Order: sequence, then structure tokens, then C-alpha cells
Amino acid sequence: MRPRFAAAVALTATAAIALTGCTKKNETDTAGGTDAGSKTYKVAFVPKLQGVPYFEAMNAGGKEAAAALGNVEWLYQGPTQADAAAQADIVRSYIQQKVDALIVAPNDPDSMAPLLQQAKDAGIHVATADTDAPSSVREVFVNQATAEGIGQGLTDALLKAMGGKGKYAIVSCGQTAENLNSWIEVQKAYTKEKYPEAQIVDIVYAGEDQAKATQMATDLMNAHPDLTGLVGECTSSAPGVAQAVKDAGKIGKVFTVGLGTPQAMKPYLQDKSSTAAILWDVENLGYLTAWAGAQIAQGKPFAATNNVSSELSAVEYTEADKMLLLGPALAITDQNVDQFNY
Amino acid sequence: MSVTTAEKPAVRTTKVLPSPVTGQEIVLVGVIAILWVALWVSTPAFMTAGSIQPLLVATAPVALVGVGMTIVIITGGIDVSVGAAIMVCSVLTAKLLVDAEVNLGVAVIVSVAAGGLLGLVNGVLIAYGRVHAIIITFGTANLFLFLGLQIFGSGTVNGIPGTLAFFGRGQDGRTFGVPHAFLITLLITAAAWWYLRHTAGGRHFFAIGGDAQAARLAGVRVQRRVLLAYVLTGLLVGLASCFVIAQGTSTLDQSVGSGKELAVIAAVVIGGTSIMGGRGSVLGTLLGALLVQSVASGVTQLGWSSQLSDLFVGIFIIVAVGADLLRARARRSR
Repeated sequence: MRPRFAAAVALTATAAIALTGCTKKNETDTAGGTDAGSKTYKVAFVPKLQGVPYFEAMNAGGKEAAAALGNVEWLYQGPTQADAAAQADIVRSYIQQKVDALIVAPNDPDSMAPLLQQAKDAGIHVATADTDAPSSVREVFVNQATAEGIGQGLTDALLKAMGGKGKYAIVSCGQTAENLNSWIEVQKAYTKEKYPEAQIVDIVYAGEDQAKATQMATDLMNAHPDLTGLVGECTSSAPGVAQAVKDAGKIGKVFTVGLGTPQAMKPYLQDKSSTAAILWDVENLGYLTAWAGAQIAQGKPFAATNNVSSELSAVEYTEADKMLLLGPALAITDQNVDQFNY
Repeated sequence: MSVTTAEKPAVRTTKVLPSPVTGQEIVLVGVIAILWVALWVSTPAFMTAGSIQPLLVATAPVALVGVGMTIVIITGGIDVSVGAAIMVCSVLTAKLLVDAEVNLGVAVIVSVAAGGLLGLVNGVLIAYGRVHAIIITFGTANLFLFLGLQIFGSGTVNGIPGTLAFFGRGQDGRTFGVPHAFLITLLITAAAWWYLRHTAGGRHFFAIGGDAQAARLAGVRVQRRVLLAYVLTGLLVGLASCFVIAQGTSTLDQSVGSGKELAVIAAVVIGGTSIMGGRGSVLGTLLGALLVQSVASGVTQLGWSSQLSDLFVGIFIIVAVGADLLRARARRSR
């Protein structure tokens, strides 16, 4: 009796969740366009998830831009987990609020595309930032760095520490994360081309789990006793690989680099278990995102080179792929880590 | 409840306890042994201290929470809130370590107390609310998640000091080469094994899972026992959270604990505990957790594709449940 009851209850719960998910879908077809006339433009940004330092730093930059520009109201809300459905609900609510510009860092670019179409139909200017939805109606993509910039930055920083040769492995996160995979492709090609004596021996996927990333890095060091380098491809595996090297007592023998946020990487940069964190100035990315939102809300076109602020005096725009590029990737080391408060 | 005929009570008393180890445990020991030997020959360093020690450390939190989960499942319940509870205890403890710079003892006590409190919430609602455990803990999982995110504020906890290194993967986490986290887990598992097998209170959990109504009529205080099962799980979640912090990095983010409830339930099921209640073993759970972690490490050390370990865990669960059903059928036909 009991297990059958449990199964029935579980089914009912699932069905209820599925139903509530569906009923919300078709509520927002009627909104009309209202972007003209108002002096203050509402620019909304929906991150992949909120509460993590990365997107909170973007939020800080966005707020700063709104204050500097004067005619922008910056709105920021994201799901508490990197979940495409929860993110879609927030996007729909912004469509209903009839914001002037809606910028999304999509968790799932494919499922976000029809929602962006809905927003456009409602007269809202749409854009993407941080992660693109290439096959959507977005007017601009605010790109933090090119895949080449990041992949080459990671490879150069690691191989410099490894002396230009040796075996290294990559601990990545989501196996289907498109941006991570595009960086890995660059790392593979660039290593082969520029460092013929270096070799990537394995690429493993730990999800967003720090402890798992650390354990996998430990296993990789055991699997390849001659390993001298590790790359943590995302913000949870970057400190993970460094921790593994530290725990194994291999600081100075195995070098690590990673895509980590400065404050999280600070202890590892200081004890040398991590050589460098490759990132970009996230606050500036937020600033540029808010600025771009204000531009499209006002219907202003982008120039080939844009003077956004004193720190962002020459932001390049490419018309072919409608992309604003923040600039080259940034290497964070124990020397400059204190400049960043996120 | 099996019907005992009045004619032969004397025969029953000599063999009232089940055998000390179940068939499932012997099978698991065999599977793990074969796996380790296979990895020993096919990888350069699987059978070295540098590989086995971290493996045991990584096994500890899942196995430890698994002890509580086994008792809960033996009573016919389930607790799907342990992942979220780990998040609450971890972030609370990590914040204390950073902001108040508390020492190891205080950190463990606070974490265990917090876990016990969360377990008490589950236990009271399930024992006295009389709603099925999956619904209650599904609800509290979301409440705990909210609570955890509130404690996180909007950001990660950075700069966690090495106070808990005693439970960690590094040099400070071992005595004579034995990782403390695993040793503690082993001792608690042994104590739970003895308690479940040799005390009346321990046997009551099985009685409840077999038939709660009959247990009540036989004088078992069902509600108190059920409450205790969830509180125990909560206390163990608190201690396991200290292990989780110790084996993580100096940063704690919102993903902590996420999906751990499934890892724990998988270990329990692979360990041979019947998901329908009434039968199970904490020793099996420890072996189940060890098998899952050995497979994960083995897959990485062999250079195989990471998602293969999910495939293997899935196969283990299905085989374990299948074996349990076959055993149940064999018992019925006897």
C-alpha cells in the first residue's frame, strides 16, 4: 500500500508542477508597444541566476551606469538556480511590465529565442549579454570576451608556468555549456599550434559541484603522475583544481589556472596553488550592458567604436554579428587581485 | 508481519535476529574488491595512499547522511530534504568560521545542532502530521533552500579558514594515514549497526517499517521512533556538512548540497535497504557509498568519459532494486 501511495503522490505532484508550468505560457500576447515619450527608460537585465558574485558584480556595474546616464532605470532579477524555466517566468513578467529594453543572459539560448520574439512583438527592445542566443531576434549581444581571448589567455597563463611544455588536463563544468565548450576548442587548437610540446591528456566534467571538481582533479593527478597543469574551466572548478593541488602537497609541481572570480581565487593565488585567474572586468560588463540597453531603448545605433565611459573609451561594435565586445580577457594574479571587490 | 504459530516459540527465539551481514553486503564487498583490483592493474596509481585517502574522504559525507537515511527508509519513510539541509548547515557554519572565527568544536556543535533542528521540523511534521514523508520533506526541502539562500545573502562565502582541515583531504585530515572523516563515519556506522541490531529500540524501526499498525499494537511508540529517525538524520547532516566544507574550497557557493539527497538515497538503495521499509542495513549503505565513489574515481583515472559514472550508478540502482524484489519474492514463496 505505502509505496503505491508514494508513487501516486509523486505523480500527482509532478503533474501539478507540469500544469502550472503550462498555464503561464500564453498570458502575454496582448501587450502593445509603448516606448516613446517617457524620459526615463526602463532597462531590465535577467541574469542566469542571481546571488552569485559574478552576476551581482554585473548588477553593480549596471547600477553605476544607470546613475551616470541619468535617464535609465536599471532593473535586475534572476532565478535562484540556473534554471531555464524559472528564468523564462522572470522574462515574461518583465514583458508584462513593458520595460523599454530587456537584456537576458540565457540559461538555454534555444528556449529563450521565442520569448525574445514575444518581447519584440510587445514593442520591447531585446538584447543578450554574457551568453548569446544567436538564433533570436536580439538587437545586440554584449560580449565579455571572444572565445579566442579566453581560450588563449588560459593557455598562455598555464603554459608560462609549466615552462611551455608538459601534460595538462581540464576540469570543466556542464558538459553542454556552449561557452565553456567553445573555449575548450580554442584551448585544444591553440595548444597544438603554439605549444607543440604540451598536451591535453583529459577533459572531465564536474557540474557546478566544487567538491566533485576537487575530487576529479585529485583523480586526474593520480591517473597521470607526470601531469604538471590543470585548468578549472568555470568559477566552481577554478578554486577546486587549486584546492586539489594544495591538498596533495603539489604546489610548485602542478600548476593551475582557471576562470575564477577574484575574491574566491585570492587565497589560492596567494599560496601559489593557482597561477592566474582569467576573467574580464565584470562590473564593466554590467556597465556596458546597461549602456547598450539605454542605446537600443532610445533607438540609437552603435558606432564601430563607442566611447561608453572613461574606463570603456573604445568599445568595438561589429555590425555583421551585431556584437559589442568588452575587450581583451584579464589575467588576475596575486599582484592585482586586491583591485577587485567581488 | 509473519504469523508465528504457537507450537514452536522456542525455535523462534534462537534465530530471532537476521544474520549479521546480508547477502547484499557480501555481494558489494565482492564487487568493490573486484573493481579495486581491476583499477589497481589498469591505472598507474589507484592503489596508492594518494588516491585511496581522498576517495575515502569523498565517500564520508554521503555515507554519514546515509546512516540516517537508512533508518528513515527502514521505517518506511524517506527524506528528500537532506541536500537542502546540508546547504543550510554548511552556509551557516561557513559564515561563522569567517565572521566569528569560531574554533573547530564550536563549528561542529553549531552545525550538528542546526541539522538536528531541521530534522526535528521534518520529524514532527511526519510523525504527528500523518502526511507521507515524501510530501513533507519535499516541502521542507524548498523551505530549507529558501532559508539557505537567505543566509547566503547575495554572494558566496569567501575566505573560509582552514579550521575544519581536521576533516579534510589534506595532511591535517589524517592520523597514521587514516582520514578522520572516514574514520568517524565508520565508527558511527558501526554504532548504528549495533543499535539497530541488538537493542529493542533499534528493532522497533524495522517493526514500524514492516507494519506500523502491528508495531503500535505490539507496544512500539511509533511516533516517537519516527521522530527520532528524522532527528538522527538531521544531526548526521550537520556533521556531514562540516565534512563538506572541509573537502570543498575556501569558497562556498549556492550549489553546495545540491543533488546530495539523490546521492544518499542511491547509496542506501544500492546497499540493499528495501525502499518499501522494514529491511535494511547501514553497513550496506556505507559500502554502497564507497562503490559509487570508487566508480566515479575509477572512471576519471581510467580516462573514460565523465558521464559513464552516472550510467554505472543507474545500473547499480536498478540491479539492487531488482535483487531486493527477487529476495522479497523468495521470502514470500518460502
